[in-house]
Amino acid sequence: MDARRATAVSTVVLLVATLAGCGSTSSPPPSTQTASSQPQASVTSSAPAPSEAAASATATSAAKAGGTLIVALPGDLVRTDPILSNDSNSSYIERQVMQTLVAMKPGTTELAPGLATSWDVSSDGLTYTFHLRQGVKFHDGTDFNAEAVKYNYDRWKNLPESLHAFAVYYPIIFGGFGPASIMRSIDVVDPLTVRINLTQPKSNFLITQTLFPLAISSPAALQAGDANNADVTKSKYAQGGNPAMVGTGPFMFKEWVPGDHVTVVKNPNYWDPATAAYVDQVIFRPFPDQTAELNALQAGEVDVAQTIKASDVQIVKSDPKLQVVYRSQSCNVMTLDMNQSHKPLDNKQIRMAIAYALNRQAYVDTFYAGLANLADNYMPLTIQYAIPMNVPTYNPDMARQLIAQSGVKDPTIDFYYPPDVSRPYMPDPKGLFQAISADLQAVGFKIVPHTEGWTTGYLDDEYAGKFPMWLLGWTCDYPAIDNFLITGFFGYQNGKPSPEFGFTYDDLNKAMQDALAAPGDQEAAALWKNAQDIIAADFPAVPMFNSIVPAAAQAYVRGFVASGNLNERFNTVWLDK
Amino acid sequence: MLKYIARRLLTVVPILLGLSVLLFVFIHVLPGDPAYAILGQRATAEQIALMHAYLGLDRPLLDQYVQYLGGILHGDLGASSVNNRPILQVFLQRFPATVELTAASLVFAAGAGIPLGRYSGRNAGTWRDALVTIVSLLGISIPIFVTGLSLQYVLAVDLGVLPASGRIDLRLNVPAVTNFMLIDTLLAGNLAAFVDAVRHLVLPAVSLGSIHMAVIARITRASYIEVANEDYVRTARAKGLTEKRVDDRHILRNAWLPVTTVIGLAVGGLLAGAVITETVFTWNGVGRYVVDAIKNHDYMVVQSSILIFALIFLVVNLIVDVVYAVLDPRIRYS
Repeated sequence: MDARRATAVSTVVLLVATLAGCGSTSSPPPSTQTASSQPQASVTSSAPAPSEAAASATATSAAKAGGTLIVALPGDLVRTDPILSNDSNSSYIERQVMQTLVAMKPGTTELAPGLATSWDVSSDGLTYTFHLRQGVKFHDGTDFNAEAVKYNYDRWKNLPESLHAFAVYYPIIFGGFGPASIMRSIDVVDPLTVRINLTQPKSNFLITQTLFPLAISSPAALQAGDANNADVTKSKYAQGGNPAMVGTGPFMFKEWVPGDHVTVVKNPNYWDPATAAYVDQVIFRPFPDQTAELNALQAGEVDVAQTIKASDVQIVKSDPKLQVVYRSQSCNVMTLDMNQSHKPLDNKQIRMAIAYALNRQAYVDTFYAGLANLADNYMPLTIQYAIPMNVPTYNPDMARQLIAQSGVKDPTIDFYYPPDVSRPYMPDPKGLFQAISADLQAVGFKIVPHTEGWTTGYLDDEYAGKFPMWLLGWTCDYPAIDNFLITGFFGYQNGKPSPEFGFTYDDLNKAMQDALAAPGDQEAAALWKNAQDIIAADFPAVPMFNSIVPAAAQAYVRGFVASGNLNERFNTVWLDK
Repeated sequence: MLKYIARRLLTVVPILLGLSVLLFVFIHVLPGDPAYAILGQRATAEQIALMHAYLGLDRPLLDQYVQYLGGILHGDLGASSVNNRPILQVFLQRFPATVELTAASLVFAAGAGIPLGRYSGRNAGTWRDALVTIVSLLGISIPIFVTGLSLQYVLAVDLGVLPASGRIDLRLNVPAVTNFMLIDTLLAGNLAAFVDAVRHLVLPAVSLGSIHMAVIARITRASYIEVANEDYVRTARAKGLTEKRVDDRHILRNAWLPVTTVIGLAVGGLLAGAVITETVFTWNGVGRYVVDAIKNHDYMVVQSSILIFALIFLVVNLIVDVVYAVLDPRIRYS
């Protein structure tokens, strides 16, 4: 080897060694591993009660301020104007920056004061009076008050028509825009009181006010950001410009580099010093690929992975630098759906036989790593007004008996599943399909398998009623019964039932609408029971599971209060390193 | 030469026009509805109709194409149907990441491929040659995503010596000025961040460049052996020139041409490979932009991005042809 070549080789070796050596700085210090052996209530190996989780975050006296928290999300932010966002990633980020009048207690589905400290509801359910928090300022320094609330609610109602397509949740909550909205008017009673007048009572009104599209923005920022521009591409407020996402929360929006990251920084003037953020900034990184996300977590490049696959729980558990964060409540349901316009699924005994044939617990163990409950309704039973349905449990003999009683000879079913998607409620559609098919074949069904791509036909065709039997489910937008039964499953559209279940259910639709219009809790409970009894009597689909989607974090992450419906905030999080 | 370049540039227009028609038709006959991708699983028929109207998908295909073409002629490549961001602006913002990755891959591919090929050619027929051949064949045979995921797992996750994803540790808060991370870190005067950016480049660049490194090594070897057997090389040796001088002045210089061709073509291949590499390493370049757009049925982003890719490919090919003429005075274009 000549001298020049020797120099070149040694330079390369030195460079590699230098680069490799730099890597050690990103590894957690040894003390971290010691800390991880003392798990907190919020991140223990058994799912904690929400109240315990919340308590642990505040009870820790050694909380340290400062640092950067990097959170991996399954996708990118879409728009920075909350009313024009309808995806869970945008809401997750908005939750750190923006606030709504009504909130949910961290980690729970329990209503709590938000920007309104209290509220009164008139006896006819038509008037909601909100008493607003005093001394709150928006991130741009302007005052939060009744005028600001009125500006936001009026703006949503009167959005330019070209923006209606993006404001998906407004018509769901208020029935429509402009004159079609059930919000007749909003009055400023005094600087800290607003009154919302509805045209009809709506029993879910308060819980829908926790939805992040209804987060209150600074009116000055909305104007400066041209938020009402009919062309959404020109709205700085929606496109992450300056200003955008100007709210009242413990973090302030700093920047959005599409596809790469979103940064929010600590609000030094947060109105509630007791719950001000510990970390200096939170950076959200989108990871559409869960393998890449897990690799980044294991390599120490992200601190929290918002969701991990149930099948990766064991990998995280076996890594002493990491911890699994279990969520205590599910806010989803997976169902085996059936269309009654296709024989033999018009026969209720056949539908019941299918339910008896399924060994659902075995599926939970195999495909969910145990992180799911057997569903006993079309929503988790923790949802207000939900009642047990007594879904049949595994009994192949009963299934055979019901098939015999039904009079259907050699029942054959075309069964669809999506091969190209993984949903929180359905992590492995193909595996589930195979297991369900095997159980059904074991009791005498003949299964004809079919697949279609999730967004290339599956959703369209199941909705159009083309599938006899298929796998699907629903993840809640907000944890309320109507969001499952009406939005997720049985809601009428334009006065007609969805063709997917293949039957007309006017009585159920009326029962649900009556329940939704109930002025009080007691009336609502009775009416929702009525609706659920109608569904149970018909048994249009088999409720399968309520899955609990786990998160993962570095062992040094403390104070993370996990929530089944991702109602999670990072102001309580601190870094023990 | 200038005439030749002008003529070649003119041919770009019909090629891009034809491609735009093909892309437009092909993408629109694919199954799937972007409105569902945007609005979610339970969007109502009214919301879907509103979204179709907003995206212009309710109009005849020809109308849509004419409008698209009109936009392109005015420098407007349209906006993403998912987040409504202007495509050209986002493409240009993300392009430096891809250029950085492609350049680093090319440096790796040529930097390792040429010496390896030369070494192999000089030792043709020996066990050293056989060893390099095996390495090259492995490099050519293993798909980028397998190389990428394997390197990521072993070196980043298991051994922790290099980063697994991204372009830089975001905790370093480097302000984006040029969007070339290596330049931005230097502009910020942050040497630690520069080293971190280099470390982030290593695995993606090696994964992306591995196939091209192997191809360059094979071509260099073949070219070296061919030239080494030429009469003028024998004459040079007979004149008593040192082996090193024969190697540098007579063999390598003449062996360059086919290697240049391969390197030129590699740029196109690297751009295509970046689509996969950027996805594996969560690299925020235009490759990942296209992959995300395909997943979300973001028609406009897919077709406009592929058009820009095609333009880049055509221009790079032209540059390669011009470089030929510079390297080899015998080549004249008319």
